[in-house]
Amino acid sequence: MDVSQYLEIFLDETREHLQNLNTEILNLEQDPENEDTVNEIFRAAHSLKGMAGTMGYKRMQTLTHDMENVFSEVRNGTIKIKSHMIDILFQCLDALEEYTTNIQENSDEGTNDNEALIKLLNDCLKPDGAQEETPAPESTAGKPAAAASGGSKWSSIPLDEAQKLVLGEAVKQGKKVYGITVKVQESCILKAARAFLVFKAVEELGEILVSAPSAQDIEDEKFELDFSIIVITDSPLDRVLADIKSVSEIEEAEGAEMTDFGGTEEEAASPSSPAAEKAEKSKEKSVPAKTETAKASGAENAPAAKTGAAKQEKKSNTKAVGNRTVRVDIEKLDVLMNLVSELIIAKNSLVSATTTQEGRESNAAVDSQIEYLENVTTSLHESVMKVRMVPIESVVNKFPRMIRDLSKKLDKKMDLQMTGEETELDRTVVDEIGDPLMHLLRNSADHGLESAEVRAERGKPEVGSIFLNAYQDGNNVIIEVGDDGNGIDVENVKNKAIERGTVTPEQALNMTDKEIIDLLFLPSFSTAKEVTDVSGRGVGLDVVKSKIETLGGEVEVKTQLGEGSTWIIRLPLTLAIIQALMVEVGGEKYAISLNSVTTLENIAPSDVKLVQSEEVIHLRGSVIPLIRLNEVLDIESTRKENENMIVAIVKKGDKLAGLVVDKLMGQQEIVIKSLGKFVDKTRIISGATILGDGEVALILDANVLI
Amino acid sequence: MEELKNNGGAKQFIVIRVGEEQYGIDIKYVDNIIHMCSITRVPKVALYVKGVINVRGEVIPVMDIRTKMGLMEAEYTKNTRIVIVKSEQQGFVGLIVDAVKEVVTLEVDGIEKVSYDNKSGKTMFVTGVGKHQGSLISVLDLNEILTE
Repeated sequence: MDVSQYLEIFLDETREHLQNLNTEILNLEQDPENEDTVNEIFRAAHSLKGMAGTMGYKRMQTLTHDMENVFSEVRNGTIKIKSHMIDILFQCLDALEEYTTNIQENSDEGTNDNEALIKLLNDCLKPDGAQEETPAPESTAGKPAAAASGGSKWSSIPLDEAQKLVLGEAVKQGKKVYGITVKVQESCILKAARAFLVFKAVEELGEILVSAPSAQDIEDEKFELDFSIIVITDSPLDRVLADIKSVSEIEEAEGAEMTDFGGTEEEAASPSSPAAEKAEKSKEKSVPAKTETAKASGAENAPAAKTGAAKQEKKSNTKAVGNRTVRVDIEKLDVLMNLVSELIIAKNSLVSATTTQEGRESNAAVDSQIEYLENVTTSLHESVMKVRMVPIESVVNKFPRMIRDLSKKLDKKMDLQMTGEETELDRTVVDEIGDPLMHLLRNSADHGLESAEVRAERGKPEVGSIFLNAYQDGNNVIIEVGDDGNGIDVENVKNKAIERGTVTPEQALNMTDKEIIDLLFLPSFSTAKEVTDVSGRGVGLDVVKSKIETLGGEVEVKTQLGEGSTWIIRLPLTLAIIQALMVEVGGEKYAISLNSVTTLENIAPSDVKLVQSEEVIHLRGSVIPLIRLNEVLDIESTRKENENMIVAIVKKGDKLAGLVVDKLMGQQEIVIKSLGKFVDKTRIISGATILGDGEVALILDANVLI
Repeated sequence: MEELKNNGGAKQFIVIRVGEEQYGIDIKYVDNIIHMCSITRVPKVALYVKGVINVRGEVIPVMDIRTKMGLMEAEYTKNTRIVIVKSEQQGFVGLIVDAVKEVVTLEVDGIEKVSYDNKSGKTMFVTGVGKHQGSLISVLDLNEILTE
């Protein structure tokens, strides 16, 4: 059977499955009991096996078959996941990736049989001795606690968001929340009736929020000898217990006050979004050593159940959406993008042609059609841009695994927190941004985070934390990568620079901290004492900087010695078409991206003050530096000294500046054309555009000016 | 038209006049020749980069060959043209020349290699000198011209 035509699809889908497996195995490591994760992994392995078999890749098929076996047993509960198994699984993934790469390059999976790995997998299948009875309940809602000690059964009642909210509120109002387990006498015949009486008794004193089994089940007598309830009341516990025991044929009633709902208060504030999930999960992770009573474990399991349920939701959501996607060749998207750009230029020319015809009566029909055309082209442009936008998730989802591996390699405990993976970037940018981000993360792991002893000395938690945040800010996407480690030692950098002869000692004295830190971006610069294969070669940061600048962005770093560092990467969102403010300076036309512009002001020359020999203006309470564009652009202003100045206030992040122009020409949608290599050096000019009349106008990058 | 491809023996060149001399540009690099048009100035660039122009919807940087070669700038006349060339590294670039004369075919063997022990002035942009109908045509080294 000729399967070569399916090769593309096979590779794409295999990659997807492998990525999925990566994520899921990481999840499994954190939460070995999660049924959903296990199922997901089993399904992925099964699909991979099927695909490999169809394509005739026997070795891949064998390996995935063995993986599937292991997971089948896990699903049945015959074997449990141990940490060394996770390592084996990751090795299997690496082997599968190797097969895939081989297939991609040589259309053949290679000759590595991975026998050792298969043997390890099969070893896992053998039952190992005395399995520990899992005291914690399974993460399925509504199931009563399995082998928990009888008294604390109420603590294992799973609570959902709404219920926790109610409990939290009750506690705030000064009410008490009790978890009570009631045991009925063995000789009791009408258990349901007795349970009903208990309920009545308790309801005299307060409110029963939830019971396990459910009230309906209790009425139908679907319980053995005991049931548990969670009560909100003002009365003291003893009173409630006494009232319960006063009902005939009740053997025992036991309970305790509940105050800890596992960090629900903060969560209750925000809807159960994946972000909240992760934040809460990390809280649990970073407090592993806390030995609390069964109360805590009960509360913990409830969030775990919720995490499982919500994750399943999230996954089923993506599954549903996944069925409605189409794979599109990137080139086709590029062609589409170009055509839309041309359309916009043509539209601009049309607008210009109709408006510059003086002496003609304005043709109302033409005008309204042109307006309509403008609307449609703008919508078309936006849609095409959206098509090209891809969430950075696809790039950053391999980072947790990388950090895990680094953590083992460097023997430092570290943890990666990511937010904003759904932030979208243009496809071409996403492809390029992966490497720089990886490098920054490795830097943080290797150089930033201190060893466990130093961290202990400084009173920092043993697990170093590395974070990656992505969010949109105006026309840019900001990605922050940072750590809570040592920060950048400016003195160290300074000395290294002097040592290498990059600067003289005199120059070094006059440099600001920022300038010294900028030295790090020079090629071959490294303060590492020795080169490891993780970093230290000094080849990374300058590549990071140049790659980001090629994408039209910038990178800077904020650091505090002893506290940590944060690298901030700023990337432009839309690459080709923007709304621009057209201005005139010295008779020449320029365009400024409207996203950078906040307000336009008319400033009298007398309002301009001097601060440290820089011109500034005082505007609505803030002091804003003034930048005379005619000076920046080496041209004479057409305005006289004593005339009022037109100033465009632009902003970058939280910094403001005022750009002085001669005239305002209006607002226009423009297509950005790149300028070619010759004129790349001028950072202030980020591109050019062709105006409706065929003239070329240069585009000013406000970000560089601020 | 004679042979359009290099059959190892001859190459075709576009002959341009810069000042008093004639230069030949290998035709395979030439994309277009247009009349002088309005050039949009770009601030803060090298002196010989005059700015950018709009050619069929593309923005192309334009360089004055006279300035690049170290000659005095001249007034643009009705003969002044912009020769648009394409190189792999630089993409499209426009070269302002005083005039464009014709297309000639030069025998490759007939082009004398210029040896320059002191690369100064105009000689560094020339790879050789060819003869055509009694006059000399210096073969322009496009890569040199287009490098900073």
